[in-house]
Order: sequence, then structure tokens, then C-alpha cells
Amino acid sequence: MVLLTLLAVVAIGIVRLRNLFAVVILGAVYSFLIATVFLVLDAPDVAMTEAAVGAGIATVMMLAVLHLTKTDESRPRQPQIFPLFVSAVTGAALIYGTLDLPPFGEADTPVHTHVGPYYLSQSIPDTGVPNVVASVLASYRGWDTLGEVVVIFTAAIGVLLLLRRAQRPTRQATRSRRDAP
Amino acid sequence: MMFAVAAIAVLIALALAVVRVLAGPTVFDRLVAANKIGNAVILLVAIFGFLTGRPEWLDIGILYGLLNIIAVFAVLKFLRYGDLGVTGGEEPTD
Amino acid sequence: MLDLVIDAISWILILAGSFFLVVGAIGLNRMPDVFSRLQATGVSDTAGAGFILLALVFQAGFTLVAVKLIFLILIFLFTAPVATHAVTRAALSVGVTPRLFDASGRQRRKITEEVMRAKTAARPEPAAQQKGKGKPGARKKGGRSSKR
Repeated sequence: MVLLTLLAVVAIGIVRLRNLFAVVILGAVYSFLIATVFLVLDAPDVAMTEAAVGAGIATVMMLAVLHLTKTDESRPRQPQIFPLFVSAVTGAALIYGTLDLPPFGEADTPVHTHVGPYYLSQSIPDTGVPNVVASVLASYRGWDTLGEVVVIFTAAIGVLLLLRRAQRPTRQATRSRRDAP
Repeated sequence: MMFAVAAIAVLIALALAVVRVLAGPTVFDRLVAANKIGNAVILLVAIFGFLTGRPEWLDIGILYGLLNIIAVFAVLKFLRYGDLGVTGGEEPTD
Repeated sequence: MLDLVIDAISWILILAGSFFLVVGAIGLNRMPDVFSRLQATGVSDTAGAGFILLALVFQAGFTLVAVKLIFLILIFLFTAPVATHAVTRAALSVGVTPRLFDASGRQRRKITEEVMRAKTAARPEPAAQQKGKGKPGARKKGGRSSKR
């Protein structure tokens, strides 16, 4: 509860601040906090992924992007009505979607009656992996995981190429601009 | 009981550090407070593992410790070798 | 009997650690500038985390968990002072001046500002004045960027 309150406070701070350095630091803080919330909700795998991606890689990449741009967010010229409308509609649709979810922790939800018991009881004789999450990810859904790995690898290569190509001329430009006044 | 006391203390420290992250005038204030938040989160992970009787999650705490210092050094390296002109003391003007 | 002793030791350590953590957090909010905030939070945070983790070690006994906790204590002991030191150096090299103040605080602060201004004005290129970096940092950066 306390953690969720802090999350909300940090999110409001991210929205209100204009200095992008502070926003990057606050993003790392936010990701640490929400990783702790995941951990409290008994999902250590998700928490570990969130902390590694959100606090580690995302911070470094955001800083690399900040190297290419200015560090202060510019003000919008007119009040932005249309993005507010789109995000409000999306949020309302998501909240409406949660109304159809079964109650949290109930025993006869579809998650617990469909294939979950099979995985839980048969993962040791089928795969021999002691951790059920690992066996589902790497054996039952092996092709799925392979596809995810390909997507992430492609994305990483694309980001690296983008950053490297834009880096050289931009750095010289900023240096000459800094010497000018 | 004793873990609950420790968890409450860590949460208080966490809240105060969040206040400093939001209020800090310079980037370094925010950085110090973010480092402290990372430390508090590591402690919270360890204490929470003991609080629920499953202290096997400490690996995650170790991972958080390494990530914490990586994040701090990434920001510092950028501050030193990146664009140095616009760093210190930029207040939000709204 | 032994359990009682271990519990008592853990209680003492946890209370000490909680005290240090909360005091460090209060200092982080009450101190006037970056360096004193660093001083307040860096020292007490390491102490508090070390005490609390030590109490957890006493609670865990001779298990793998205790080994992991000792590992975590070592990580704290190595990384926290290094991070504090690095933040201080970066703050100095970017040009945040420490605010020295006594009973007539404003006077001392003006003096340090004048000293820093004279230092930056004495540098050869005038473009570096708005950056306000100290001399050793500038030399190091020059060497690094020539290597680049």
C-alpha cells in the first residue's frame, strides 16, 4: 500500500518535471519500486526482469538518447486535448476490461482449470526441470521463447545502429555550438 | 515482529528519500536519493523474504545492488563526459 | 537460552540499523546542500544496512542464506562509499560549490563564491566559465576526449 502510494507520487513527479535528467533518474526509481511491488505480489521472476530492464538497460539507453538531444523538455505550444482524449478512452476501456476478470485468487478460474494442473503435475516427468516456470518457458513454449529472443535481438541491434549512426555528426555539432558564445 | 519493525523503518526512509528525489534542486541530490532508494529496496527485499518465511529471494537483492551502482555510474559518466553545459540546478519552472 | 541470546542480539542490531536508516533519511531532507546531504546519507545508510543485514545473518544461522547475506553486506560495503565518492567528484567537477556556513553563514558563502569565480576566471578559455569546472577535472576530460 505504501509502495503504491510512493509509485503514484513518483509518477506524478515524472509527468511534472521538465528536466529530462531528473526524469531518467525518477524512471529508475519507479522501476525499482514497481519491482518491489511485484516481489511482494510473489512474482520474483517478473521482479528480476523488471529491475534488470527498467532500472539497468532502460536508464543507460535513455542517457544515450539524451546525449543526442537537449536535456530540457520544451513546452507544448497549445494545450493538448487530443492525446488526453485518447489516453482517457484507452484507460476507460482497460478498466472496463478488468470488470470481466474473475475474482483474484479464486480456485476455479480458467487459469487454474485449463492447462495449469497439467503443467504442475507433469513438468518433472516431461522435461526433468525442477522449476515449473523455467520448464514452461523453455520447453512447452520453446518456439514462442525463440521468437521473443529473435524480436529482442533485432530490436537491440536496431537501437545500437541508430545510436551509433547519429552519434558522430551530432557530437561535433554540439561541440561547435558550445564554443560559439 | 522484529522484521516488521525493520520493514517499517525502511519504508519511512524510502518515503523520505522519495521526497528528496522529487524536491532536490540539482541532479546530484536526485542521484543520491535514488541511490538511497535502491539501498532501501534491497533491504526491503531481504526483510520481506524473512517476513514471509522464504528467504531464498536474496539473489534478487544482490542483483538489485549491482544494478543500483550501475545506474548511478551511468548517470555520473554521462554527466561528466556528455553535454556538461546544462546539468546543475535546472529547476522545473511550472 | 541460545535462541534468546540470538534474538536479543538481532533486536539490538535491527533497532540500531533502523535508527541509522531513519536518521540518514531525515538528514537527506534537512541538510542544506549536496555535500552535506551526501555526508548524512552515505555514512548512515551503509551503517544501517550493515546492521540490519547482520541481524538477518544472526536470524538465518549457518545456512546458504547467511552466505548470501554476507555477500550482500560486502556489496554494500564496497559500492556505497564508491558511489558516494563518485557523486562528490562529479558534483565538484561540474561546478556545484560546497556551502560553508557558520554563525554569519552568508559571509562565508560569498567568500567561497568569489574564490570559485576567481578560479574560473583565471582559466585560459572564457567559454569554460559557464561550465565552471575545476582544473583537474578539465585536464582529465581533455585527455579522455583526445583519446576518443
